[in-house]
Amino acid sequence: MSEKEMNTTSTPDSDGFRRSGTTKPVETAEQKARRAQVQANASEAQRIENARQKDRELKNEQSASTASEGQSAPAEVRMPRYDPKDPYKFPAQMPSSADSMIRSFDPADFPQPKAKDNEWRYLDMDEISEFMQPFTPTNLAQVSVSFEDGSAVPQLSDKQTSRELGVSFGQISKNEYPAGSVSKPVDLTAAIQWQVTQRVYWLNITSNVEKPVIIRVHSNNAERDALHFVITAAANSHASVVVMHDGLAHLAEGMEISTGADSTLNFTSVQQWDEASKHVGTERIRVGANAELRHRVVTLSGNFVRLRMDPDYAGKKGFLDMLGIYYVLPGDYAEHRTMVCHNQADCKSRVIYKGALDGKGARSAWVGNALILPTAPNTDSYELNRNLVLKPGAIADSEPQLEIENGDIIGAGHASSVGRFEDEQLFYLESRGVSEENARKLVVRGFFEELINQIGVESVQTALMQRIEERLAKGESAAMTQVLEDK
Amino acid sequence: MAEVATNVSEQHTLEIRGLRAGVQTKEGRKEILKGVDLTIHTGEVHAIMGPNGSGKSTLAYTLAGHPKYEVDGGEVLLDGQDLLKMKPYERARAGLFLAMQYPVEVPGVSMTNFLRTAVTEVQGSAPSLRQWVEELSTEMKRLRMDPKFAQRSVNEGFSGGEKKRAEVLQMELLKPKFTIMDETDSGLDVDALRIVSEGVNHAKDVNHFGVMLITHYTRILRYIHPDFVHVFADGHFVRAGGPELADELEESGYDQYLPEGVSESAQA
Repeated sequence: MSEKEMNTTSTPDSDGFRRSGTTKPVETAEQKARRAQVQANASEAQRIENARQKDRELKNEQSASTASEGQSAPAEVRMPRYDPKDPYKFPAQMPSSADSMIRSFDPADFPQPKAKDNEWRYLDMDEISEFMQPFTPTNLAQVSVSFEDGSAVPQLSDKQTSRELGVSFGQISKNEYPAGSVSKPVDLTAAIQWQVTQRVYWLNITSNVEKPVIIRVHSNNAERDALHFVITAAANSHASVVVMHDGLAHLAEGMEISTGADSTLNFTSVQQWDEASKHVGTERIRVGANAELRHRVVTLSGNFVRLRMDPDYAGKKGFLDMLGIYYVLPGDYAEHRTMVCHNQADCKSRVIYKGALDGKGARSAWVGNALILPTAPNTDSYELNRNLVLKPGAIADSEPQLEIENGDIIGAGHASSVGRFEDEQLFYLESRGVSEENARKLVVRGFFEELINQIGVESVQTALMQRIEERLAKGESAAMTQVLEDK
Repeated sequence: MAEVATNVSEQHTLEIRGLRAGVQTKEGRKEILKGVDLTIHTGEVHAIMGPNGSGKSTLAYTLAGHPKYEVDGGEVLLDGQDLLKMKPYERARAGLFLAMQYPVEVPGVSMTNFLRTAVTEVQGSAPSLRQWVEELSTEMKRLRMDPKFAQRSVNEGFSGGEKKRAEVLQMELLKPKFTIMDETDSGLDVDALRIVSEGVNHAKDVNHFGVMLITHYTRILRYIHPDFVHVFADGHFVRAGGPELADELEESGYDQYLPEGVSESAQA
């Protein structure tokens, strides 16, 4: 790590310049700088030591808990065969996350979060603590809906047009179906969000919806607010839904998505918040039998964005295709958790999350889980996370997890990488006559284009690509200097 | 569909004089090129042969300008212009092309997009779209490449043979004055080797460039006939001769050119 990159904060000289006569010699600028450097080194060393201490404590805790469970290694390994009549005939030797997971609408059921918990270990607890206590939402976030071409989406009460267009949207009460119908909150923030939410919106898809539906969430207020959305797609329906978020907000958002048998739903959520915004979102997702859910997440800005998705299946042969794109600016934090639960036979899941981090102070985390229960033979799951560090100094955490409790599966693939902007790729393009600048452009734009083109709603794709282009163009000359300096 | 021949009556010269270069390793600075001298004229094929670890690839990459290799001295003059002072893309525009041994993958950038950009940057103007599509498909057909490869990301998921063919495709389209081929024959089966060699020969006939063919085995020389054969060992040229030198090497190997006490198997 170069000296430049270290956090050198020069402390103000407390002695200052003494005008009145004094025997103490005045410090030269060089001595002052040296003293500041020594102090910075000391505080850096202290920080590293603190982190190591935390790590040691965490390890001690973990080994203490496994010791207390009293499990001794089995004498021989028996490979049980799946028995469709009794999937739980051979229980797993180790508990899975499903065994210890708490799911409840009541925040009191969740233990007090600690920074070392797996759930919260990547983020800064200070940033999320406001969402872990009950609050009164401002209800100022504006929610509007329309089709992609601007025409109106019928109200829930308008039965006639709803039937014609295959979709309707409106506000419902928390006690009404389908609110709260897709399983239960998985963590404290989700439970709190449910408890405090006063506005619940339902997008009811009943048959084929020809035009994409765009739901816009816009806010101009940094006071905490809460929203809840329920999206249901009836059996055999086909629809495309985009939820766009922008403005200034501290938003706790719940999303429930449930798709019926043989349906196809294309769902995209876009986060383009103002710089000081916070967004803590949890999604509970259920994919119907033989249904296809294409779920896309695009996170482009916002000081603190944490999205946790918990999908499972309602029947056999469901297909979940998840794609995530994040582009994190310096000072921002983006966390995405894709916790797929395979609870039905013959289902397929693909989770591909790719992100770019734009320099020092940009942080991201991705945690992916594929939990394959004993009831899910013939599962085909795959998860991948790829991080591209555009400029040095960013931190990307990537944690693929697999919990396989059924051996009769097609596959459970996983891959994860964090990489510097590839010098070899740049050289390759340059050796073919492409200038440095254009080579970088090609590679980074290619990275994003490949992903954005999979969203499936053209106006959104164009708008997002344009936003990314602007951002890349802005950062480019500064980036080149940095890259050249580092070499 | 007339083929546009460039550089027909043009004569160019690539002169390497006393080139010395090294690389930073964990154990410190290591000198690899220890005074390389070579002159290539348009239309000539020079085969560079030598044992593993002699620095043949380093020579190729140093000429192309890879940032990993630091030049300590010497000159590389293309028609009198010192390439060593130029950045990699400037060298490419001056007319140098390196067909790599392990082409890297560039995901998200399609072959056709990349190639068109490269051709535009090297030639200075963009070819019309129709002209481009026609030229691309002709050259791909010649190399027996599936047209679908045009839409795929650069080298992504390509087999070894497909990557080498893509390199030759680029050579055909960019029309360089001098081509360096770094162990193009490695990993190719007989058919792929023949196709790639035909591509190189064709490009050479149409565009008249000079070729520096780096290879370890003589097999490729049966398809691409060398005018000169050079032996490269321990960072510099140790012997030069005509095509018959290749046969001699086939018989006796490289041991006689290595520093005393070292055999090729030890160096590898």
